[in-house]
Amino acid sequence: MSKIMTVDVLSSIKGAQPSEAVNKLFDVIKNAQPTNNNSFNNNRNNYVSLNDLRNDVVIESSALEKQIIIENFPKEKGGYLVVSKVIEE
Amino acid sequence: MMDSQIHKIHQQLVDKKISCTALVQQKLNALKENTNNTVNSLLDDLALKLAAKVDVKIAKGDPIGLLEGIPFGIKDVYMLQGTYTTASSNLLKNYKSAYTATAIQKLLDAGAIPIVKENCDSFGHGSSSENTIFGAVKNANNPDLVGGGSSGGSAVNVAKEYTIFSIGGDTGGSVRQPAGYNHVYGLKPTYGRISRYGLMAYASSTDCVGPIAKSVEDIRIVLNAMSGKDVKDQTTYASAEITKDSILNSKSIKTIGYFKNFIENDAIDSKIKADFLIAIEKIKAKGIEVKELDFFKSDILVSTYYTLAMAETASNLSRLDGSNYGNRIEDKNLKESYAITRSENFSEETKRRIVGGNQVLSQGFSDEIYLKGLALRDAISENFENDFKEVDIILSPVTPNSPPKIGDSLKDPHAMYLSDAYTVGFSLGQLPTLTIPQGTETGLQITAAKNNDELVLKFANFLKDTI
Repeated sequence: MSKIMTVDVLSSIKGAQPSEAVNKLFDVIKNAQPTNNNSFNNNRNNYVSLNDLRNDVVIESSALEKQIIIENFPKEKGGYLVVSKVIEE
Repeated sequence: MMDSQIHKIHQQLVDKKISCTALVQQKLNALKENTNNTVNSLLDDLALKLAAKVDVKIAKGDPIGLLEGIPFGIKDVYMLQGTYTTASSNLLKNYKSAYTATAIQKLLDAGAIPIVKENCDSFGHGSSSENTIFGAVKNANNPDLVGGGSSGGSAVNVAKEYTIFSIGGDTGGSVRQPAGYNHVYGLKPTYGRISRYGLMAYASSTDCVGPIAKSVEDIRIVLNAMSGKDVKDQTTYASAEITKDSILNSKSIKTIGYFKNFIENDAIDSKIKADFLIAIEKIKAKGIEVKELDFFKSDILVSTYYTLAMAETASNLSRLDGSNYGNRIEDKNLKESYAITRSENFSEETKRRIVGGNQVLSQGFSDEIYLKGLALRDAISENFENDFKEVDIILSPVTPNSPPKIGDSLKDPHAMYLSDAYTVGFSLGQLPTLTIPQGTETGLQITAAKNNDELVLKFANFLKDTI
């Protein structure tokens, strides 16, 4: 794998290119004057308290849920769910 | 109680003036015949089955809850077990929800009846509900204009009374803007008040579940039903119920503010500006002090929002590769299969945002764009915190302009991004903000400090009689 990954590879989208409409948005950020460097990370406090963590338990899915998950699987052959060919490189 | 559709229909059901089955059938028929492209799928079987149960209860003389039997719509990004959840995308056009979103489950538990999965911009990526495989949503008041987005189908359904209320999703204005474009109420609650479990993730740090309805009272009822802490979404917090009486008296609101630079610029439509200032004068005439506030320039707000939202959506949508679900297209190996599946099944707008997100998260770009965007977001939040030491409420227009014609936004995505100028800031601040269908052609936004959703509803009730 090459060291530089282009956006089409990063995005898994064939032929993807940066767009002018979006680059215009980024230019505004590049040119913005940071008003207060000290505030970084001060306000994003959507953390969960340790006492509030949910229990680490396995919850069994309902039969209906399992059936729908199988139904959603893109390919089935002879009772098996078929995955895409793996990468060989 | 005034103008509440929920109270009105509840009373009709209780008084046996209409059966629940007839009510639901009537709404399903209206949705089926509608020409505004609001429907991705109808939930006929489920809805009629639930309605029959309500009718049995009423016939037996059992009491029914306020939301019991009330038909509602769901933006097609919410999981409801056994129903198609397409996100208006090719990738998921045959995807069935395996489970039910917490917010929707709470409404089901209260007896409300889901009747439709509603058209929207694909994965919430848009401000016009034109980025959809189901055809552009047409505005409720003028079908040549867009329905707004991304929750366009939901807002149009409420405006047309095809649903009594609808549940939209708001990441950067997707409930508030279509509510404004279609002259109804739409609330983005405080981030974390309602669980996002089962809402397809767009930008997780601003995604909010939001009700759309025709009155403040109905917004209050539905908000109460959906709020609360949920172990399945650890950003949620416990909140107190907002009572009917608590929002009737607005005496506690003494000072409000508005952002000077939202109003004094070249981008705002002159009529929207004039109407906004008239509303401000009417509020002043009631003895409320109005302060002009300084805020970040619109282009900074829009760019900060889109930078972070694109980064988050690039990460969130990376799971959509056709391995376990979705419209997989096979190619010579796994990597090629991913790429062709995503290339063929994502819309142009969704691809634009994924690519933008991966651009800013790349080495060499993250410092000057993504991390700077995060720092700007903190500065914006700090600005809000300081503002709410000075004022109780911030009032804003919802949009700088009236709804565009269908077709225009797709031609100029950058112009579409800029049309979100007045909504995205409050998303970044995670603040409760309500669109009311008053004041300007596209309504007004009422914002309060975090966790103060009650004050927002209170001021909305006050404005109903004031402007």
